[in-house]
Amino acid sequence: MAYFTDAEARQIIRDTYTAVAPGSAEVAHQLYTAAELDGLPPGAVALALGVGHPVRHACLRPGEVVLDVGCGGGIDTLLAARLVGPSGRVIGLDMTPAMVERTREHARAAGLAWVEVREGLMEAIPLEDASVDVVVTNGVLNLSTRKSRALAEMRRVLRPGGRLALADLVVTEALPEDVLRSAPALAG
Amino acid sequence: MLAKKVANVGFEALRVVERRPVGLDELARYPVFPEEFVAFLRRAIPEDRHAALVWAVTVTARNPGGVDGA
Repeated sequence: MAYFTDAEARQIIRDTYTAVAPGSAEVAHQLYTAAELDGLPPGAVALALGVGHPVRHACLRPGEVVLDVGCGGGIDTLLAARLVGPSGRVIGLDMTPAMVERTREHARAAGLAWVEVREGLMEAIPLEDASVDVVVTNGVLNLSTRKSRALAEMRRVLRPGGRLALADLVVTEALPEDVLRSAPALAG
Repeated sequence: MLAKKVANVGFEALRVVERRPVGLDELARYPVFPEEFVAFLRRAIPEDRHAALVWAVTVTARNPGGVDGA
């Protein structure tokens, strides 16, 4: 059952992520190693909002083209960029303009010129078919009201044989209806 | 459920590479959840579920076709 229309859900999510203040970096320190966090812009570390470490499982290689769906503050985008190196390319995608700008700033601060950040929806990824080697996404699919459409888009932009590494939250037991109707639950 | 959704759009070689419980204390560390919302969750959800309210799952998969050594 959908408690929000697509438009309502997107507005709640944009408003939430535009307003979100950097956290205490506790999330980053739980998910990533100290070596991975070393040298990253503090703002990217403090805005880690993922739920796993898909980049670790993506087996990235120098020269690959990576898409980070829902890049947020950009921590996974930056980690992927380090791994693919300047012969590769990492595209961060986010539907919230404030997050797009934050990831751009963090990539500039980190000196990762092969990072490109685009504004767009995961249900309509603004990339050509079969144009990336790897898709990573971290704690983002649950924000979509059209998850199958978003997954189909991830597959569309992957080249044949391309890889997906996806981390997300899963509910295994029904949550109370008043929780499901709440905007923070949707945005988180 | 997540892996099934991934498979349903045509991905292959699916692997669940990580699966761990996420409780209310961990959710409270995320700045997207206001304190009052976490307090609301503590009241609205039975205490025996607080330690594993949701699961963080990581799935890897491959787009069919092509040759990939990974």
